[in-house]
Amino acid sequence: MNRTFLIARREYAAYAKTVGFWLSLLAFPLFAVLGGALPILMRTSEPVRAVAIVEEGPAAQGLAAAIRESLQRDADRQAERAREAAEKAAKSGAPTAQPGMANGALAALSRPRLRLVPTPTTITSVTGEAQVEAVRAALSEERPKAERLDAVVFLTRKDGKPGARVWTARATDDTVEDFVRDAMKTANRQAVFGAAGIDASVVEQTERFRPEVTAYSPKAAEGGQVSMRDRLPVFIGLGGGFLLWSLIITGASILLNSVMEEKSNKILEVLLSSASATEILAGKVLGVALLTLTVLVAWGGIGAVGLLTTVPDVAYDIGQVLVHGGLIGWFVAFMVGGYLMYAVLFAAIGSFCETPRDAQTLMGPIMMILVVPMITMQMAIRTPDAPLVTILSLVPFFTPFLMMARLPSDPPMIELIGAMAGMFVFVLLMVWVSGRAFRAGALSDVKLSWKSFGAAIRGGGN
Amino acid sequence: MTAALTLEGVSKRYGDFQAVRDLSFEVPKGSICGFLGPNGAGKTSTLRMILGLQPATAGKITILGADDGRRVRDRIGFLPEERGLYKKMTPVDAIAFFGSLKGLPLGEGRKRAREMLDAQGLGASKKKKMKELSKGMAQKVQLISSVVHRPEFVILDEPFSGLDPVNQQGLEQMIRGLAADGATVLFSTHVMQHAERLCDKVVLLARGRKAFEGTVAEARATSRRFLELEGSIAPDQAERLPGVTGVEIISDHDGVRVLKAAMAQGAHGQEALKAAFLTGLDVRRFELREPSLHDAFIDLTGDRPDVDQSVKPTGQEAAR
Repeated sequence: MNRTFLIARREYAAYAKTVGFWLSLLAFPLFAVLGGALPILMRTSEPVRAVAIVEEGPAAQGLAAAIRESLQRDADRQAERAREAAEKAAKSGAPTAQPGMANGALAALSRPRLRLVPTPTTITSVTGEAQVEAVRAALSEERPKAERLDAVVFLTRKDGKPGARVWTARATDDTVEDFVRDAMKTANRQAVFGAAGIDASVVEQTERFRPEVTAYSPKAAEGGQVSMRDRLPVFIGLGGGFLLWSLIITGASILLNSVMEEKSNKILEVLLSSASATEILAGKVLGVALLTLTVLVAWGGIGAVGLLTTVPDVAYDIGQVLVHGGLIGWFVAFMVGGYLMYAVLFAAIGSFCETPRDAQTLMGPIMMILVVPMITMQMAIRTPDAPLVTILSLVPFFTPFLMMARLPSDPPMIELIGAMAGMFVFVLLMVWVSGRAFRAGALSDVKLSWKSFGAAIRGGGN
Repeated sequence: MTAALTLEGVSKRYGDFQAVRDLSFEVPKGSICGFLGPNGAGKTSTLRMILGLQPATAGKITILGADDGRRVRDRIGFLPEERGLYKKMTPVDAIAFFGSLKGLPLGEGRKRAREMLDAQGLGASKKKKMKELSKGMAQKVQLISSVVHRPEFVILDEPFSGLDPVNQQGLEQMIRGLAADGATVLFSTHVMQHAERLCDKVVLLARGRKAFEGTVAEARATSRRFLELEGSIAPDQAERLPGVTGVEIISDHDGVRVLKAAMAQGAHGQEALKAAFLTGLDVRRFELREPSLHDAFIDLTGDRPDVDQSVKPTGQEAAR
C-alpha cells in the first residue's frame, strides 16, 4: 500500500477510534437542537408570577383596569400569533403528526408571564410603614408557596400622569416592572387621545394595524414575489461559509496537534526514515481530510434526516438550491482549497513545535487573519458588491469563506473564477512553502519564530 | 569484502557551524561497525546524511549501491537517538505500521511482530498500549519496529542510551543476531565497552573529523600499555622507573596518588615493579594495563568518553 495512504489511514484511525471524536461529532447537532429548544424550555419552566395590584387613592382609579386590559391584549396577541404560525405550518405541508408538537411549543411560548391575584387585605387595610411591612411579609420566602406573592404593584397618578411602585420578591426580576411600564404607557396614550376627542377603539385599532409588505425582485423565482425559497440560498451561503470555517479550523487544528505530538514524541524522525516529507505531509493532510469529511457527512446526514422528517418541503428546496444552483460544486471546491491552504500551513508550524505554547508565536497572527472572514461574512450576504467585501473575497486567505457567502448573490463570473484560480495558485504556493518548512522543522531543534520559519522555507531544511 | 556503505569526503555545515569535515570511511557488508565519538562529534548528522534525511554539504555517500539513502530506504532499518512510538498503539500495531511503511504487508508485519515480541520476552505485553510499557520494553519494541522488515543495513543511533545493564546485554544479543542473519549494522555510541564487545570495525569521530578507522585491536594498538600505580609516590619518582615515558596524576588524596605511567614500546612491567620495590617506593597497588578502546579513544580524540560503570574493563594484570 502506498505510504501516503498508510499514514493517512493511521492518522484517521488514531482519531476516529476515540470516544472523544464521536462525542464531539454528535455534540454539534445535539447542541443545535438544544439551542432551538432552549427558549421553549426556558419559557415552559418560567413560573407565572402572582401579582397583586393596589390603586393608591381616587386619582389612580381605572389604572388597575388598564393593567387587566393590557394583560388581555397580550393574551389575544399571543393567541393570534399561534394561530398564524399553525396556518403557516399547515400550508408548508408539515406532516400531520408535527402540528401537535408545534402547537405545544407555541402554547409554551404563548403562556402569560404573570397573573393577577386578589390583593390581600393585610395590605389594603393599612397604610404607611405598616403597609410596607405587610408587603414585605406577602413577598417573603418564608410564606407558604401557595400564599406567597411575586409582586405587589401600587398604581398612582401624579400630575394626571399614571405611575407605579413595583415591589418584587426578587430584585433581579424586572418582568412585572416592564409589563406595568408598558401598560401605563398605553393607559396614558389612551387618556391623551381620549382628551383629544379620539375614541379608544380607534386607538386600539391603530395600534393593532400590521401593514402587509410584500417584497419583489427581478431575481425572484416565481412572478417576481420574493419567497422563502428565494432567500434560501442566502442562508445556505452564510451557513456554508460558517460550516466551512469551522471544518477548516477543526481539521487544521487536529493536524497541528497531531504533528506537534509526533514531533515531541520523536516519531517524525522515524517516519522520515521510512517515507519522504512530502508523503508524510500528504498522508497526514489526507487522513485529517477524511476525518473532516466524516464530520461533514455525519452533520449533513443528521441535518438532512432532521429536515426531511420535520419540514420536507424546506429539505427539498435546500436540495434544489444546492444541486441546481451549483452551490454544492462551489462548496466542495472552496472546501478543498481552504482546507489545503490552512492544513499544510498548520502542519508546517506543528513540525517546529513540541507544545502548543511553542506554536503561539505563529498561531496568533493566523488566528487574527481567520477572524476577518467571520466578521465580513454577514456583510457579504447583505451587500455582496461592497468594495471591501469584493476586495477581501479576492484575497486567497479569505476566498473560501467570503466567496461562499457571496455566491447566492450571483457575483460576476469573472470574479468567481478569478478568486478560485487565485486561491488554488496560492494553495500550490502554500503546499510548496509548507513542504519545505515541514521538512526542515521535522528534524530541527530550533525554537519556532518568524525568523527560523523563514530560514527553513529559504533553506528547505538543508 | 564489498562495502555496504562508503563515505567519500563528506562534509556538513549548518550556517556557520561545521558539523562534519571531509569524512571518509567504509562499512563492509555483513559487519558490525561502531561509529564512535563524544557528544557533538557529528555522529547523528552523519547518520542522517547516510539515510538521506539531510543532504551533505560536500562529498559522496553510497549505501547499498545507491547514492541517496532515500532510494534504498526500504532496505534500511533505522533507530533514532531519541525514541518515540505512538503512545496509544499496541506494540503489534506499531511494529506492523512501521514495517508496512517499509513495504511489509500489514498481516505479515503483525505475524512477525508477535514472533519477535515473544522472542524478546515481551509476549505478555503484546496487547498493552505503548504508554503502559517500561522504557526498556518500549526501546525493544522500537528496535523491533526498525528491523521487522528484515533490512540489509541497520543504523542504530545511540541504541544503548537509557537502558539498564540487563537490557543492554539483550540489545547486544539482538545486534549480534542481526549480523548473524546477514545484515550490516552501523551503530553510534559514546560508550566504548559496547563497541569493544560488538564491533568488527570502529570509526572514531572527533569534532566532526575522522580520528580513526579500523578494527578494535588496531584502535587499541594506537595506545601504549601503561602502569597504574597507587601509593605515596611523587610523579618524578614514577618517571624514573625503567620503561616509563610519562606520568599523569589520576587522583591525589592527601598525598596518596593514583598515577598513570605510560610505558615505552617493548618495556616490561615486571622491571618497573622490581625497580619500585628496590628503590623503596610506597606502592600499595600496581597494575599493568593493556590499552582499552576507552584509552585509545582518549588518546585519539583528547576527549574522555562516558564510562559505563556496569561493564568491567578488560585486559588487566593486577598486583597488590
